[in-house]
This record gives sequence, structure tokens and C-alpha cells, in this order.
Amino acid sequence: MRRNSLAFRLFATSIAWTLLVLPLAGYLIYHLYRNDVQTSFDIQLKKLLTVLTLDSMNTLGNEPVRPNNQYEPLFEVTHSGWYWQIQPIDGAPGRRLVSPSLASETLPSPYQKKFPTDDTGTRWSNVPGPGGQSIRTLEVIDSPGHDPEKTKYSIIVAGPLDWLDMTVAKFRNRLTTALALVGLGLLGVTFVQVRFGLLPLRRIEKGLALIRSGDARKLAGRLPAEIEPLQSELNALIQSNMDVVERARTQVGNLAHALKTPLAVITNEAREDKSTFASKVAEQAAIMREQVSHYLDRARMAASAGTLGRVTPVEPTAEPLVRALERINRDKGITISMNVGQGAKFQGEKHDLEEMLGNLLDNACKWCRKRVFLTVTVTPASQGAQAMKRLAIRVEDDGRGLTPQERAKIGKRGLRLDETKPGTGLGLSIVGDLATSYRGGMRLDASPHGGLLVTLDLPAA
Amino acid sequence: MRALVVEDDKDLNRQLVTAMGDAGFAVDTAFDGEEGYFLGDTEPYDVVILDIGLPKMDGISILEQWRRSDRNMPVIILTARDRWSDKVTGMDAGADDYLAKPFHMEELLARVRAQVRRASGHAKSEIECGPLRLDTKSARVTFDGQQVKLTSHEFRLLAYLMHHNGRVVSRTELVEHLYDQDFDRDSNTIEVFIGRLRKKIPGDIIQTVRGLGYRLSQDGDEA
Repeated sequence: MRRNSLAFRLFATSIAWTLLVLPLAGYLIYHLYRNDVQTSFDIQLKKLLTVLTLDSMNTLGNEPVRPNNQYEPLFEVTHSGWYWQIQPIDGAPGRRLVSPSLASETLPSPYQKKFPTDDTGTRWSNVPGPGGQSIRTLEVIDSPGHDPEKTKYSIIVAGPLDWLDMTVAKFRNRLTTALALVGLGLLGVTFVQVRFGLLPLRRIEKGLALIRSGDARKLAGRLPAEIEPLQSELNALIQSNMDVVERARTQVGNLAHALKTPLAVITNEAREDKSTFASKVAEQAAIMREQVSHYLDRARMAASAGTLGRVTPVEPTAEPLVRALERINRDKGITISMNVGQGAKFQGEKHDLEEMLGNLLDNACKWCRKRVFLTVTVTPASQGAQAMKRLAIRVEDDGRGLTPQERAKIGKRGLRLDETKPGTGLGLSIVGDLATSYRGGMRLDASPHGGLLVTLDLPAA
Repeated sequence: MRALVVEDDKDLNRQLVTAMGDAGFAVDTAFDGEEGYFLGDTEPYDVVILDIGLPKMDGISILEQWRRSDRNMPVIILTARDRWSDKVTGMDAGADDYLAKPFHMEELLARVRAQVRRASGHAKSEIECGPLRLDTKSARVTFDGQQVKLTSHEFRLLAYLMHHNGRVVSRTELVEHLYDQDFDRDSNTIEVFIGRLRKKIPGDIIQTVRGLGYRLSQDGDEA
């Protein structure tokens, strides 16, 4: 998962929230429970103390009465953690009574340690008890018959703190396990939620890829309400992009028509006249003509390069060109052998493929003796991740061909190797420029058929 | 040879008519699509120069309609739109050749001659008929290597006969193909020119086929 991604953001916030909330909740629950257990423990101690006080001090005599042990069976079990002890305070003489569980031990008196009393006059304290356990003691001072004139006795009840701690610890372990499970569950749910929630974005991604590869012209399908506006905007953008290209092309065509006829008139008029003025006009008109062609080509290229999602099947484009060129050159009796790989598609504008094929085939027809060859093959690119398919277009003829020096020179704008053949000398350089604008290239070689071999490398779809 | 020029730009039209006239063609002219279509549909032309962008009716439609009604004269289309898709559209509509504006008049004339030659079944630029030779490129006629000096009317007549040298050419056909539509057509003038040509060219090369017309004889042994 990339750090700068929606999935990461959603996931990270969710994890952060879970990590913050779950321990906090655990802490709160633990403390509430602990207080609860402690309170009920204290209430029980207090109850026992009250009963013991009533039982031992409700007497008319001067000595406390031994209480009968019907409240807590563990008072009978030695070192059980549950004890009681009744003895006179401040070393006064009097009867000392203890629970059987205490055996020969003595419980320390909080009164003697000057512990403060709570609002009901009792004293709490946690102390180590007999047998090494820690215990909680509760003490009250009273006299037999509740008569303040008689000897004061300390009445202490104790219960095991270890039991309390154990109960709470057990609860804490269970709570931790439960919360950890909840946390894991939340993570899982978040993961599914993020994946499922972002699924429509995946679909947009795939849709855009289809448009880029030219298999689709718009983002299709019903998308969720939140990204539906995005979908319609994208579609509108793609459409307006196509419209702009179309308009640019129309205007370029109009401009061409508007300029070329007057240029033809000027050129022809000037060539009729033999004066120096006329030759200057003819020369300048020729320059204008070059410039017009040059910038019209540029405009066309700028208009077509980079437009999204155009795919042109090669065979239906090449076939009419071949037919037209065979017709134009029928006096020469040229045969154009066409061999186009099954389903070869060019990723780009039909017009541009036509220009490239047309110019190359036209050149080949001019220079060949009888035969021209057009071969189109599709090759998967070798370079790693983006396995873009490439189109290799070979145009060859059986003419006299070019020397390596001529091949190096040719392709420059306006250069014509043979002034006797008609043409403006722009053909090959236009093809080269067009191929470059599609991040492709053009190469000139000697053909095994004798003439020139021009190889175009273009993106396939 | 008769030619039709359909071009809406007045200056270019004039230049084309002049150049074609100088090259030995009888030229009719039209400035819009409807007129051009009508002329091409009714008159027998040896070649048509047709602009694509025309008022009233565009060149492609004109061409398609001609071809549909079996008007099979060579047509060279002329247009500023020089993309291959435009060329293919033109060729598919039935054009024989295609020339993009701006063009050199010499190139247009070369293509016109090539189309005329091809339409009459000649592959090379020189047409031979026994000792008589016509160089269609330079518009020169030689007899046994000697140049024959001809007026433009004489040249047109001889050139037409040489283009169609395998067959008998009637007087009506000659009148139709040698004069533009505004010319006062009197077939007697044909006889006058035939007479002049016979004086300039030795031997009995131009033969009269009684009741049918004229033909060129390769060796003069037939009547």
C-alpha cells in the first residue's frame, strides 16, 4: 500500500483511532470493575463488622460476648485470610476474642497506629496478614453494652486482599484478550471496507486505461453517487478534447485552401513573366509555399499528438491508399504487395497514419521499377513493466535505392535528391516528424529488393 | 484535344485556360460546380481539370455523378487539401490523377498529357506512326527526324489523329474534340486543315476513308 493513497489514509486513520480508543476503553472498564469489586468487598467487611459488633457488644456485662460464627465459614479455617479479633485498647485489661482462623497471631490495630476514622467511625487499612498474605482490615471501637463508661474494645474484621487482586487480575486478562480481538476485528473490517469502498476508483482506473489504449471512448458504467460527477466531467473533457482537435483540423484545412489557391496564381503568373521582378515574386512565393506547408504540418501534428484514445486499424487504412496509388501509377504498372499482420492497430490518429503510409508508398512508387512492398508487423516491446506493443512498418521498393551518403542526407526538409521527379521534397521529413511526435522513429536502409527500405517504429494498440 | 477546366478562382482559371490553350488544347471553362457538371456530362472532353472546392456543387460529387453515368474521360483533380485521405477520396470517386495546390503549370501539363496518352492507349510519351513522331512532352512533330512546323490548329488535328492512330476518326468527332464549345463549328474547316497537313507531311500518311472520316496509315499501302 503506497503512503500517498486513499486506502492508506483510511486505513491509517482507522488504526490510529483503534489504537487510541481501545486501550482507553480498557483502562476505564478495568478501573470501574476494580472499584466495583473493591466496594462490594468493603461492603461485606462492613456487614461482618456490624454483625460481630452487635453480637459481641450487645451484653449487659462488662466483657464482650463471643460471637457465634454463622456469617463466614472461612473464619473457621486457619490462615484462610478471613479473620476477626476483639481486644481491649490502650493495653487495658479485658477479654481477648479471636476467630479460629487467626490461631495464635494478632491483627495490628489501626487505632494504635493512629489511623484516621472515616465518617462512620471505622478505620481501614491494608496490612500483611498471617501466612504472608496481604489483608484488608476494618476496625471499630466499641464498649460492651455500647456504654462509653466501660472498657473500650477494638473490633477488627479482615478479609484477603489477594483474592481481590486475583479476581481483578483475572478480569484484566480477559478484558485485554477481548479488546485485542475487537481491535483485530476492527482492522479486518476496515480493510474490507476500504477495499470495497474504493472499488469504484479501481473501475475508473481500468476505464481510463481502456480509453488510453483506445478500446473505449468514454468512462462507461454506473459509478457511485460521489464520483459520478467526476465520471461525467471526465467524459465531457474527453469529448471536448476530441472536438477541439476536430475543429483545429477543420480550420487548418480552411486556411490551407484559402492560402494555396492565391499562391498557385502568383506562382504561375510570375513564371510567365521573365522580368527580375517576376522572378523575385516567384522565389518569394516558393518560400511562402514552403512555410505554409511547414506550419500547416506543425499545426496538424500539434493537434493530433497526445490526443487520448485514438486507435487506427492498419489494414483498412492502408488498403485504400494502396488502391489509389496503384491507380495513380497504373501507366507504370506497379504492384504494391501488402502484408499487414492480423489485427495490427496503430495507437494514434487515422490521418497521421495515412500521411505516413501515403508519403512512404508514394516515394516508393516514384522510385521503384515495378514492385513496392508494404509489411506491417506487431512486436511486444522487451522493456520491462510497461509492455507497450510496437508497430513496425516497412516500405520497400525494387528501384536503384540510395547510397549510404544519400540516405544520411535525405529526410531533411525540402531536400530533393532528384529534381526531375515531381514532389516538394517534404515527404520523408514529414513522416519522420510525425513518427517522432508519436515517440517513434524512422530508419532508412537498403532493401533486399534493391531499393530503399524505410522502417517506421510506432506505438501499437 | 478538348479540355474542360472547372475552377472557381478567376485568376487560376484564366492561367489554366491559357496554359492549356498554349499546349494545344481547345479549352472550355466553368466557374462553378453546376456548370462544370453540365459541360462534362454533355460534351466529349479528352481531359478534365476539376477543382474540389467549388461553389454550388463540390468536385467529388461532380466526379461521382459523371462516373455513374459512364463519363469516362480522364479527370485530374486539383485541390488545396493535400492530405492522403483527401487524395484517396478523390481517387475512389473516380479521379485519374491528383494535384495539390500550389502546383507548377509544367507539372500539371505533364500529367494532363500523360492522362490523354493513357486514355488513348499509349504508354510512352512519344507516339510513333511510321516515320511520323509526336513528342507529347514538347508538343513537337518530326518526320524522319526533321521537325515539321505546324500552326496550333494543324497541330491539334494531327495530334488527335496520332493519339487515335489505330482507327478511323470521323469529321464530327474531330470537330467535337478540336474546338471549344464557343467555336463556330464548320466541318469544312477540317478539310482545309487536312489539306494543309498533307502538304507539310510527305507521303500519303493521312488517308481519307470515304463516308467515314480519316485515318493515319503506318506505311501507306492501304487505301
